Amino acid sequence: MTTVVPEVTRPGLVLTSFPGAAPAAPAAVGTAASVLRERALAARRMVIDMAATPTGCHLGGSLSVMDILIAALDRTATDGDSEVVLSKGHAAAGLYAAMYATGILDEDPAAHYGAATHHFTGHPGPSVEGVRFPTGSLGHGAPYALGWALSRRLAGTPGLGIAVLGDGELQEGLVWETCQVAAAQRAGNLVIVVDRNGGQNDGLVADISPEPELAERFRAFGLEVRQVDGHDVETLREVFEPDRSDRDRPLAVIADTVKGKGLRPVEGKAASHYVTIDAARAAAWKEIVR
Amino acid sequence: MTLPGRTAYRDELTEIAADDPRVLCLEADLGGRNHPFAARYPDRFFNVGIAEGAMIDMAAGLAEGGYRPFVSTFAPFAALRAAESLKLALGYLGAGITVVAPYAGVSGGWFGTTHHCLEDFAVLRAIPGVTVAAPYGEEEMRAVIRRAARSGEPHYIRTGRNAAPVSLPWEGTDPPVVNWDDAGAGRDGTCLVSVGEVGTDLCLAVRRAQPDLPHAHLCFVDQPHLEQAAAELAGRFDRFIVVEEHRPAGSVASALALLLPGSEVRSVNAGDRWPVHGGSHEEVLNELGLNEAALWKALAPYAELPESTPAQKKEGRP
Repeated sequence: MTTVVPEVTRPGLVLTSFPGAAPAAPAAVGTAASVLRERALAARRMVIDMAATPTGCHLGGSLSVMDILIAALDRTATDGDSEVVLSKGHAAAGLYAAMYATGILDEDPAAHYGAATHHFTGHPGPSVEGVRFPTGSLGHGAPYALGWALSRRLAGTPGLGIAVLGDGELQEGLVWETCQVAAAQRAGNLVIVVDRNGGQNDGLVADISPEPELAERFRAFGLEVRQVDGHDVETLREVFEPDRSDRDRPLAVIADTVKGKGLRPVEGKAASHYVTIDAARAAAWKEIVR
Repeated sequence: MTLPGRTAYRDELTEIAADDPRVLCLEADLGGRNHPFAARYPDRFFNVGIAEGAMIDMAAGLAEGGYRPFVSTFAPFAALRAAESLKLALGYLGAGITVVAPYAGVSGGWFGTTHHCLEDFAVLRAIPGVTVAAPYGEEEMRAVIRRAARSGEPHYIRTGRNAAPVSLPWEGTDPPVVNWDDAGAGRDGTCLVSVGEVGTDLCLAVRRAQPDLPHAHLCFVDQPHLEQAAAELAGRFDRFIVVEEHRPAGSVASALALLLPGSEVRSVNAGDRWPVHGGSHEEVLNELGLNEAALWKALAPYAELPESTPAQKKEGRP
């Protein structure tokens, strides 16, 4: 099988302006949806390979968040002013695979995931090429992205701070503390995406600590809300495309997803949260994943 | 007339910001209604409200975006409520954030235990890469703030509430690793080692009564600075009494004891009790037994003490 790795370079951040400077032109984006889908499929296969390492990986959440990451990283791959923070850091395998498939990461993560001599740990940190913030302890990605968004506003550039959270993660108080601050600061260039796959470590969100009326909660905090199919890369790409520097309300994107998406044997199963498989099963799953 | 540490911080940062557009100021609803930075640079001032953890994490995002954020909230909220954020942002990420933490120790007095912080050295000193400072007086505070802004490195700076002591003099830009206050002191015997506002006040009080006691003042107490300080201290003395407004566990004294295995290191500290009564800063310190009498008692086995110490006279005892 072929891994699609397009040639995309990610410009480093250069702080060229300060408050009062004229806004820079928005970055050009618009990769074809078919290309994004190819990247997502290649990345899902890499995640399966990471489940077949000695450590295994957080399979279900890495597959559920994949299309969100592919669409978001497509913006940041060509716009160094925008930043994607995977707040649900346990989906590190998904992040590494999405970054590799997008061309942000040069080194194949599947070969080294969880290895003693390598940076591809089970939760991502800044020693990984292209990762700015340490995540995994849940909730922190949202305020990191808020700080990033405010820095772009100060610099007079149109960059986004994009935080990708799990729905279980919304049980952390820090998330709502951040929404409160973000709304007060009118951080319109902050985008909080919820990968609503319905699962968490010990079972279903609905059983452990349900989150009814989620959209209304975000609206009540002062955020704009969009509800989307979290596996529709075309819609997701459109969510991440606009220049939001003239907006004064942060955006919450509730993305409905399926845990284990694309891999029929595990789709929708809470037990897919963390999976370790052997090479033969990995080979079989890579044939059927879609 | 000198300024309290937190007032000196706000003033100095506002001055620095005139020449450095990267400098930002963040507060969590405890910066006061008339913050000078907010008045002069409203675009670079963020009052995030009562959200200490989010504030530290936001500062990490701002630092990664090229800025130099200074954040301030009371020491118990900075060092303990937001401890994980400090570990990840200042430690693991190494973000150039400076945390200025007033109300350290029991300087909050009658505000009670929630507003006391006798544990911050233990927390912050355990996070590699963070410069930990406890400046004494306005000039030390200003110098430490300038150092933090200049370096862009992670700093935690503790200070009290309203105390405004006069800093000890030094030569150079930054406060030295060890600031020797030993004019008239002997070269043998016990050396006082002071940390922070209360520790330094107590050592200076004892020095006034007994000028032959040498005194070494430490402004920086993170591990790399203490390693340098230990080498310098060991070059002059072999018996030390470390005075600090902190619990014994995780104290500067405990660190120096490990760094000075050939020396005798004693500690005068705030102990392990929770002060349950109100009162002024001094009254709460007395309840905890951190006062001049405690320092004289610690000195008793070693020094030829005055027949009646100033602390005993104050208490009406012979």
